[in-house]
Amino acid sequence: MQDFVEKLKGDMHNSIDFCSKVLEKQGDKVFFVYLKSITDNLVFSQAIYEPILEYNKELDFETLKQLVKSNDVTEVDQDEVHEKILKGSVVVFLSNSERFLAVDILKFNTRTPSEPPTSSVIMGPREGFTEDIKTNISLIRKRFYGKDLVLENLFLGEETNTQVVLAYLNDVVDKKILKELKKRLKKIKIDGVVDAYYLIPLISDRPNSFVKQIGVAEKPDIVGAKILEGRVAIIVDNSPIVLTVPFVFLEDLQSSNDYYTNYFYSSILRLVRLVGLFFAVVGPGIYISLQLFHYNVLPIKYLITVANSTQQVPFTPFIEILFITLLFQILYEVSLRLPSYLGLATSIVGALILGDTGVKAGLISPPAVIVVAIAKIALYTVPDQYSQITVLQFVFIFLGASLGLLGVIGGMIYVLAYVNSIENFGAPYLAPFSPFIFSDNKDGLLKVPITDMKNRPKAFKNNDEERINVQEE
Amino acid sequence: MFKRNETIGGWQTGILLFVLFFANKILVLPSLLYDQAGIGGIYVPVILFLFEFALLFLFYGLKKKYPEQSFGQILKKFGKFVYYLIFVFLMFYFLGKTVLLYNITYIFFKNIIYKDTSNILFLFCFLPIMIHLAVSGLRVMGRTMQLFFPIILIMVVFCIVVGVLGIDTNTMLFTSKSSDVFLSTFRHISAFGDTIFLFVVMDKINVKKGEWKVVFSLAGLSAICVIAVCAIFIFSYTYTSYMHPFALFEIMSYVKETGGIGRIDIISVVVIIILTYFHLAICMKGFLDSFVETFKLNNIYGSISFQIVFLILINYLVLNVEKAISYGEVYLPYISAIPFVIIPIFAIISLFFKKREGRK
Repeated sequence: MQDFVEKLKGDMHNSIDFCSKVLEKQGDKVFFVYLKSITDNLVFSQAIYEPILEYNKELDFETLKQLVKSNDVTEVDQDEVHEKILKGSVVVFLSNSERFLAVDILKFNTRTPSEPPTSSVIMGPREGFTEDIKTNISLIRKRFYGKDLVLENLFLGEETNTQVVLAYLNDVVDKKILKELKKRLKKIKIDGVVDAYYLIPLISDRPNSFVKQIGVAEKPDIVGAKILEGRVAIIVDNSPIVLTVPFVFLEDLQSSNDYYTNYFYSSILRLVRLVGLFFAVVGPGIYISLQLFHYNVLPIKYLITVANSTQQVPFTPFIEILFITLLFQILYEVSLRLPSYLGLATSIVGALILGDTGVKAGLISPPAVIVVAIAKIALYTVPDQYSQITVLQFVFIFLGASLGLLGVIGGMIYVLAYVNSIENFGAPYLAPFSPFIFSDNKDGLLKVPITDMKNRPKAFKNNDEERINVQEE
Repeated sequence: MFKRNETIGGWQTGILLFVLFFANKILVLPSLLYDQAGIGGIYVPVILFLFEFALLFLFYGLKKKYPEQSFGQILKKFGKFVYYLIFVFLMFYFLGKTVLLYNITYIFFKNIIYKDTSNILFLFCFLPIMIHLAVSGLRVMGRTMQLFFPIILIMVVFCIVVGVLGIDTNTMLFTSKSSDVFLSTFRHISAFGDTIFLFVVMDKINVKKGEWKVVFSLAGLSAICVIAVCAIFIFSYTYTSYMHPFALFEIMSYVKETGGIGRIDIISVVVIIILTYFHLAICMKGFLDSFVETFKLNNIYGSISFQIVFLILINYLVLNVEKAISYGEVYLPYISAIPFVIIPIFAIISLFFKKREGRK
């Protein structure tokens, strides 16, 4: 058995966290092998090592099983020992026996669930997912005490062997969607899954597209609501985000806050988000096209103001807008990577010194700064589409500068036609707007009271359409 | 598992018709109508829309009798010669329409906005979108139009309301000769007949029973809008129509500034841009499907390349823009025999055959 321990150590390339202990009991030897970096040392001492140490009679395998004070004890084959050690178990065995006992005492340092910075709510649940899959599963499970929630396990990544869990409601989910998802997941051959984001292109309908095709959520209440609608959640170990499929664009226009506040107010907020999205994508492009090609449509007083502000600027509106947008993007990147105290200083340098001095020096005009600032602020009305909107913003700046409104509108038609051609797991990307689905629009651009949302979304298939059955007296 | 589906439903078919009926008639047509028929130009679109609706009813009948079949399959019953002849005709019909519409729009934008812009820049602007929409298929095209439809409708209604408010004339009706009206009707028949596109994509249209009302309502709405634009233009520019060729834009530019909003003629420009993009894409799709049917090509890029080469040749080697338009106006009325004579004849015979088969 000593040779077996040496072999295990050799298999792990003498890893420094590999630990083996031997306890001699009345001429017999008890071996303990585990990885100390991922196991709970206290539990090991109190629940496994000490009871065996204090036992003074002759030891056989059945007695060993009884001595271990843990609920998570399994007997494993010699072939499985390696895998169990890697997954946080202590494997205990006797020198005179070929049987192995694995006791799961996996322990990582994990953070407690806290409110994610991108999905904060004024009123409503503040829990967010953590990097620990067990915590994440428990956060979902505690929202579903019914027996219909299914949690399915699979492991991905040849090197990382990462745990991936599918969560769905058995009676609601469309079996075709589920089958297709499993097929795509099983096809994945990858060395490692470091985060859930690794899976996104691997299960998307169009892996090379810039369009976001898989839902991403950081909060269990959002994932719970999506599971209730008939979607499948994909929980990945070591990732604080949970993926959901099928995904439609509307999901990013919705916010969890909408469901914890008055529906009139939610409807206004959604319209504001749509307007914000429009400004963010085409705002700078339209500004350039108006300045370059269609200046005569501006009200005369506004035109005079703009002309006065821009006459000293040495650059064309296109260069000006491009310069400010790039400057903002650089500041954004810097502020993300710097420590928060330096980030504040960068903001002051960027916004006040560069912006203000640039205007005073006559390098950039105030209207251009305002337009870019509005577009960049508006971008955060739909934060989940940040990267896509930023790419499109640059595209529309070029189109506005080269072809004016003709280019901007052509670009809009092109992008919307492209997006319309995407169907994620059978769900049209822009549903319920195109194709127009009346019942889904009750929770679309406008939101009706929850009592009127009697059915699950029809944008994708599910097995049980009815959600609310209000009994009238 | 999730196969690409090309079919469109009732709403999308209605919106497609709305765009088809509206698109190429709101720019130069009203001015030309007045030039030739005087005040009687108002009646020309009414007469031609009667033909258009007759064609639509024929399509409705055909679709009811042959719900699953394509137009090609129906035509094959008349023999291969008829089948190929009609699709070759359709191919050239859509090609001619594309060239004409493209050039009219180019002249409009060159005059109104892009003074020094070359034709090639326009081609680079229009082609990617036309190709993208045509290649993406009818469903994508229909869905994209559906997204833009509320914007188009609101803007068109706004233009009409503003146009009505701008009318200030004592024009007398019934002062034109009927011969002028009918001559003008013949000359501009090529601006109509767009319903023929529905025949080309017949197997991809899946209108449920109750949805035909929507299709006819949207087509009717579009016809009313076109007639309204023509009437408003003719009433507004009764004696100076030759100086104001671009109807929808002109009726909006009548009202220069509206309070703090600024010049509102930009709204008509936006509508024209959107509608032109879609109409050109529809023409390209019509050509593409006819080309594929004629030459049995599975590679659609072959047909698109052909059309691009044709467009470039027409624009740069053979004709200049003005000539393309004037030739179009001379020859397209004869080509319009395809939608208004040839296809209806075969469609009616098909309906008749089907009925007889049913009785047997």
